[in-house]
Amino acid sequence: MVVAVASFVGAFDSNFWAVGNLRDLLVRSAPTAIVACGLMLVIVTAEIDISVGSLMALTAAAMGIMISENQWALSMWVGIPATLLLGTSIGLTTGLLVTVGRVPSIIVTLGLLTALRGATTLLMGGQNIDGLPASLSQITKQGIVGVPLSIWVAGLVITSTAFLIAWTPLGRRIFALGSSRYAAHMSGLSERRLKLFVFAYTGFLTALATIVDVPRLPKIESGIGMEFELLVVTCVVVGGVSITGGKGTLRGVILAVILMTMIRPVLTFMEIGEEGEKWTKAIQGAFIAVAVIGDSLLRSTKNTESLE
Amino acid sequence: MTGQRIEFRWWHEVVLLGLLVALLLIAESRIPGFVSFRSQLFLSRHLWEFAILATAMTLIIISGGIDLSVGSAMGLCAVAFGICFQFSGSLSISAIVCLLTGLLGGLFNGVLIAHFRLHPLIVTLATFAAFRGIAEGISQGQSYSQFGDAFSQLARGTWFSVPIPGFIFAFLACSSALLLAKTPPGRFLYAIGHNPQAARFSGVPVGRIRVGLYAWSGLLAGLATLIYVSRFDTAKADAGKGFELDVITAVVVGGTSIFGGRGTIIGTTLGLLLIHETRLFVGRYWRTDELKSIVVGLLLIASVLIYRLLTKRDEVSKL
Repeated sequence: MVVAVASFVGAFDSNFWAVGNLRDLLVRSAPTAIVACGLMLVIVTAEIDISVGSLMALTAAAMGIMISENQWALSMWVGIPATLLLGTSIGLTTGLLVTVGRVPSIIVTLGLLTALRGATTLLMGGQNIDGLPASLSQITKQGIVGVPLSIWVAGLVITSTAFLIAWTPLGRRIFALGSSRYAAHMSGLSERRLKLFVFAYTGFLTALATIVDVPRLPKIESGIGMEFELLVVTCVVVGGVSITGGKGTLRGVILAVILMTMIRPVLTFMEIGEEGEKWTKAIQGAFIAVAVIGDSLLRSTKNTESLE
Repeated sequence: MTGQRIEFRWWHEVVLLGLLVALLLIAESRIPGFVSFRSQLFLSRHLWEFAILATAMTLIIISGGIDLSVGSAMGLCAVAFGICFQFSGSLSISAIVCLLTGLLGGLFNGVLIAHFRLHPLIVTLATFAAFRGIAEGISQGQSYSQFGDAFSQLARGTWFSVPIPGFIFAFLACSSALLLAKTPPGRFLYAIGHNPQAARFSGVPVGRIRVGLYAWSGLLAGLATLIYVSRFDTAKADAGKGFELDVITAVVVGGTSIFGGRGTIIGTTLGLLLIHETRLFVGRYWRTDELKSIVVGLLLIASVLIYRLLTKRDEVSKL
């Protein structure tokens, strides 16, 4: 279904397929795709993480302060690993609160959503950060062999996540845990370790997405990543991952990411202009509704025995 | 029921009350005059919309659901109110349209959740985006104002020096508390929250109750919009932005289980007050806005964490 919609809107205007436009589309969808890879695994284990937007802001602020020439002016090779470490450790903390603390993940990440956003504004002290090293902005904009860095990284993350899901015991165990917690427990899988992994992985990927995406912007503001969590959750759900766990494909998620990123450019291309852009959110909402209703109708015709 | 040992049911509320009293004592000692009746009432202006929404959110979360769309529904209601006022010039018609918009939005949520058996989180996530998007699309960023002095009395007027929205909240809170404690539909909510399948087999009209719940939540979003618009004398698509998270936070801090089956209106009221007072105190003592959100976020996590650590492990078995 996703493919059908994508090709339909593509056929609308031949200009839409221009290389520059396509590249722009991919660059815009890259951070969403990177984080969606992690969040998909979280949702497969029947948990949720709605703090990724705020975490993105916090890692962006931390990275900015560390490597900006106007601030600490540390080397990129210190700042970037430290940023990744920060993201991973916050993800790990979420995981610990969920598994050891037994706090529902929606509560933990709802709390972090507010707390991390507050920490970001406190850290930045009401000022924007600029003066990122020119070499970093250069590589994120121009990229390697003409392809921007974020696309390379997104490609790498998608490939390795696909490999993880399909070919490693870890990936299979995550799905096993999601489809039946009881069965997984009985087969000796450590629920705690698997969940710690998925949350830490999401934290790591969020930091990674920040690193490849944020230097494209002229300066770092505290409003970065606002409502990003909702976009990512939307993409994962529209991509067919079941919120009750155990089901979903990476293919679907990635297609959903591209579809969601396409809404705004498509509205512009169909020459509705300014007026049309205001409808972006309404269309996003409609997509979620259509995707889940369609899914539920398909499911009920296929097998009548509901698992509810 | 286990039946072996009768537990004291109100301990969560007692702990909240203790925390609240402790907070107020500290606040009073640091900022003299903090707890006076006048200053508290003056500072409570922003609380009422949250409080009204929280009464419905408590019922929904007790039934095992969630409504992320209330804030966006407020945006949609505000735009409906503004446009209707522009065309008709009649406050009462606009107010009815505003309430109806909320009701219809909530009904839409409820029907999707009950009849298509969709997860409430997903449905209200969709309408969270859709309601706000429709509001933005229709209004195109325009704001509507000048509804007259009579209308602004709704939020600013007082009876016996208590603001009118306070009475509305008190009425809603009392009736919801009575509903939960003393009527069959109220008890059904706990049953649905515990185990919807079992409730259905016991003859509880689960679907109808769910539709009613979300419709009620939408209607209250319309009511909260009226107060919001009256206070600012402006109706715009961004009304109620971010409200859903604050409301859910208050309900959860108030001891309602996010998985359903447990919770009280008194707890929610205490949760609301605790968050409100914490915000006020942190904001006035350290004079920063940023610290407020950190403290509230951590308060949310801590309140559930402490509860979890204190209760026995057997609740894990709820798969």
